[in-house]
Amino acid sequence: MSAADRARDALSRLVDASATERILISTAALVLSVLIGAVLVLVAGRMTTCTAGEAVYYFGMGFCYDPVVVFDRLFLGALGDPFSGSWSPNGQFSVTLRETTLLLFTGLSVALAFRAGIFNIGTQGQMVVGALATALGVLWASSLVSGVVGTVVLIPFGLLVGAVFGGLYGAVPGLLKAYADANEVITTIMLNFIATGVALYLVSGVFKDPESAANQTVPLPEFAQFPALLFGARQDFSIVALAFGLLAVAALYYVLEHTAFGYDVRTSGVQPGAAEYGGVDAKRTVVASLTLSGALGGIAGAMYVMMILGTFQTGIPSYGFDGITVSILAGNNPLGVGIAALLFGVLKSGTTVVQFATDVPPQLVGVLRGLIILFVAMPEFFRLMARGLPGTGSRPEAVATDGGTAGDGGGETDE
Amino acid sequence: MSDAPADPEGAGVSAESAEGEGFFERYTTRAIAAGVTVATVVALLLAGALFPDSLAGTLSDALTSRNTLASALRLSVPIAFAALGGIFAEKSGVINIGLEGLLIISAFSAIYVADLTGGVWLGFAGGVVASTLLAALFAVVTIGFRADQIIAGLAVWLIALGLAPFASQVIYGSPNTPIVATSPSITVPVLADIPFFGALFSASPSVYMLFAAVFGSWYVFERTAFGRWIRASGENPKALDTAGVSVTRVRYAAVLISGVLAGMGGAALSLDLGQFTGNGPTMVNGKGFIAIVAYLFGNYNPVGAFLSTMLFAGLDAVQTVLQLQGIGIPRQLIRVTPFVVVILVLALVGRTRLPEAAGEHYETEE
Repeated sequence: MSAADRARDALSRLVDASATERILISTAALVLSVLIGAVLVLVAGRMTTCTAGEAVYYFGMGFCYDPVVVFDRLFLGALGDPFSGSWSPNGQFSVTLRETTLLLFTGLSVALAFRAGIFNIGTQGQMVVGALATALGVLWASSLVSGVVGTVVLIPFGLLVGAVFGGLYGAVPGLLKAYADANEVITTIMLNFIATGVALYLVSGVFKDPESAANQTVPLPEFAQFPALLFGARQDFSIVALAFGLLAVAALYYVLEHTAFGYDVRTSGVQPGAAEYGGVDAKRTVVASLTLSGALGGIAGAMYVMMILGTFQTGIPSYGFDGITVSILAGNNPLGVGIAALLFGVLKSGTTVVQFATDVPPQLVGVLRGLIILFVAMPEFFRLMARGLPGTGSRPEAVATDGGTAGDGGGETDE
Repeated sequence: MSDAPADPEGAGVSAESAEGEGFFERYTTRAIAAGVTVATVVALLLAGALFPDSLAGTLSDALTSRNTLASALRLSVPIAFAALGGIFAEKSGVINIGLEGLLIISAFSAIYVADLTGGVWLGFAGGVVASTLLAALFAVVTIGFRADQIIAGLAVWLIALGLAPFASQVIYGSPNTPIVATSPSITVPVLADIPFFGALFSASPSVYMLFAAVFGSWYVFERTAFGRWIRASGENPKALDTAGVSVTRVRYAAVLISGVLAGMGGAALSLDLGQFTGNGPTMVNGKGFIAIVAYLFGNYNPVGAFLSTMLFAGLDAVQTVLQLQGIGIPRQLIRVTPFVVVILVLALVGRTRLPEAAGEHYETEE
């Protein structure tokens, strides 16, 4: 068996777990990661220094950071403090929705590739390429139109440009995998580095905004950006973009579950041998799914430029890598991506709240991201826990799925 | 399969069933790629000697400079150590894609311990311990709990990518650590005065440790029972099990060794500079992934992996020289060349023959 077959095998094992079990495992992984995060915050609180007045006390010991405050800020703060009585949609809540919107696209990008049995680690790079292309394309086009007509024309145009360039960049590892047998994990990671490097070169040179000290392109005019409807403009969130995102969730779900292409993708992900025997063109499916995956990443980049920044700047946040977590947490199911993206949007947005309220470094969320992936990847651990702990082991869901060990492929489940 | 793949003559021919006819039947793409590399270098050197003022002249000057060899050796240390570690893990049947994470965590821990204790070698040990612990976690998750190796490896990378800057921020108030003392380089008298190759005899201790590790790994795989067990665990775990050797134990040992080796690489990386920088992709910056390509290109042979690492590191060293000399190509573009070359190499080498059982969980029948 080749490495690719094995990778697909492993993925199919992940896909095979039933939906209920998947939700339980994802929830447990999340809870466990938060608990370990809390311990980490406590340990970090012992390693740093603060005055006695600032310290909190647990188990008779003083800590500089309080995990309760950290996670209170992380979750409730991200939702704009719904219990405080002064909740408004314009506060942190819209930041959360903004992050969710981007994570929807990067999550879908990773999920689509994973479903086809391809590890696309390159969503980040595809997003960078899409973002830069959108910033330049829309800037060029914005001289041709203006006003409301401009908005109506330029936003779809910008999304299209992002999708095309992200898609082309995604096609590169697809072609390399299909026709040169180059492992996509390595090539996509390398392409991330290349995208960042080349973007830095272009934005610090040819396409640099002469008015700005930062490495960025000339900012887009206001009418070429997503309009702020319902929510305040200050948080750079647009409900239109979120609607696009939800539409994408539904569309990808439909494509995967109800179209011939989706069938090809899913079967090559689960049973590549059988898929090919059944007449699926494996090479074409690899290229097509990575192109589409790249296009979704590119749209995320376009959203970032047209909704948040209004320009392309080097140092794009790691939405692409977060997309991996979102997708894995969602079991690579488009509908699950919707929920996981909101959850991770809370984490991302909460990070800034934590930064304001405490001294805990924002890199904490990066650690949580890794931990969540690690735990979701080991369903066996939670099965053992469920069996080992009296009381919890008798939960009907846990028992019902108990017999299905990771090894036996009981066909794919239409979650 | 023991011949060095960088040797264009018949390297690893038996390992792959090259399709096609004539020329392609006798030489694998790997051998061809290596041959083309050697030919390019020779052509460059000749052109440089003939036209010293041209671009080729500048390049061949850079290639033959003693400093280039010295910095190529220095740059290859973290990559080659990680590649050796990767060979151990993957030969035993566990694909360790988290090498990047092991390098990051050891690079930070080495500086932290060195700063805490004031001892460079204590710091080195600290880095190795941290990396081994993270590798142990990876081993438990993949071998004990049958997690998918690729996803768990990604998790190891992402955890380290968050944890090292987090710890640095907590302890030092910045993702970059303060600068600690570095260990002086060791110079072998007389031999160090040889032109060009003298760089081999005037290097930091980590370079000599790398030589020892390459030889040691080669020796383990070719001459010891443990080496045979590792190979069997990756190729035919059932046979190993039948022979009465625990596959699980061999795999745990191999993954832990990969943690130790990657830890040595990461610790050497940061201690060589005396600082850990944790912004963006951190100072490790993809070296762990390049290491994976290096050992794939080196066909799982420690010597081959070292030679292909030298190819990547040499490229990196040359690009540094070129950046300083300014040959008209912008700095940011020269910097991405190693990544482009990795992709080209991977595309040329194509399908590598993984150990038969790599990536699969082995269930002992009791």
